Amino acid sequence: MTGSAAAAAGGCHIFSGCGYPAPGLNDFNFTPLFTIGSFGFTKPMLLAVLSALAVIVFFWAAFAKPKLIPGRTQSLGEMGLLAVRDQILRPALGKKGDTYLPFITSLFFYILVCNLMELIPLLQFPVMSRIGFVWPLVFMMYGLYWYLGFKAKGFFGYFRSWIPAAPLPILIILVPVEILKYVIVQPFTLGVRLFANMFAGHLLLSIFMVATWYLASLSVGLLYAAGSLFMVFFVFLLELLVDLLQAFIFTTLISTYIADSLEHQH
Amino acid sequence: MITGMRSARRPDRAAALESGNPRTQAGEHLTAGTGWNVFSYLIAGMLCYGGLGWLISHFTHISVFFPIGMLVGLAISVGWIIYRYGRPFEQGNPPKGDDR
Repeated sequence: MTGSAAAAAGGCHIFSGCGYPAPGLNDFNFTPLFTIGSFGFTKPMLLAVLSALAVIVFFWAAFAKPKLIPGRTQSLGEMGLLAVRDQILRPALGKKGDTYLPFITSLFFYILVCNLMELIPLLQFPVMSRIGFVWPLVFMMYGLYWYLGFKAKGFFGYFRSWIPAAPLPILIILVPVEILKYVIVQPFTLGVRLFANMFAGHLLLSIFMVATWYLASLSVGLLYAAGSLFMVFFVFLLELLVDLLQAFIFTTLISTYIADSLEHQH
Repeated sequence: MITGMRSARRPDRAAALESGNPRTQAGEHLTAGTGWNVFSYLIAGMLCYGGLGWLISHFTHISVFFPIGMLVGLAISVGWIIYRYGRPFEQGNPPKGDDR
């Protein structure tokens, strides 16, 4: 349990003389569950491993022994797979995007489960709200789209494909923008978008949860607590949507970037 | 598909309608990621020319170059976005809405 939640659980209520223990950055720092040498294994790491296991076990159960007439798990797996293919890959890459289906599907479901961890009681922490978990995914994608670009067009051909077809004076103005877009802005916004959404969502949720507990006392505070509890449910539903949307946007953008690397004409 | 009247009135749209389903072919058509691409261009333009403006103002000690650079970068980005994404029919996107 972290700072503000511990203070609230310790009997800190309205009219008892203590102020509202507002959740903040401290709620994102965890004491290690156990340490190996100087390496501390924390709750977010545990949740990241659990998320990966959940995705692996689910798809293993769904597709280890595929049948012509699918069972329940296989049907669910196929629905997930087809949703990723038809909503994320095909619009960006067309039919040839099916090569990347396993990669994009695992990525989508991994991010989704990591995000959903914030809504599961007792776990209650979105892994992607620690930016250290986001950057590896971004760098993996970054490496992939550069690699695919070099493979499809050759080393210099790939860089040449960034240059739009335009007269020279306009090129001088545009090329720096294009370079900055590919090298810095695309990966940076990709990472920060996922991180910031999860961070803000978790903060919002914990603010209302702690407020509900803080306001709950045998006084008019009970009324406020009910209002805050309503907000908890509202934000919970909102976060359900945001979790799904962020996983969707992350993978959609990766598909778009891959498409950009493979063919690029201005 | 009735395209007779439309082809007389708006040949570009009729051609776009006949060019087939864009979902099966990848390329320079508008997708779900286009919006984010546009966003990337806006940031990149401001970053590039804002940075240049900041450098100039840093060395000349005239602070107005930084905001001017940002605005110029934004203008360049917007111009480029309009040029590149502003003609979806030529890029194989069938028109949507009432014209379909």
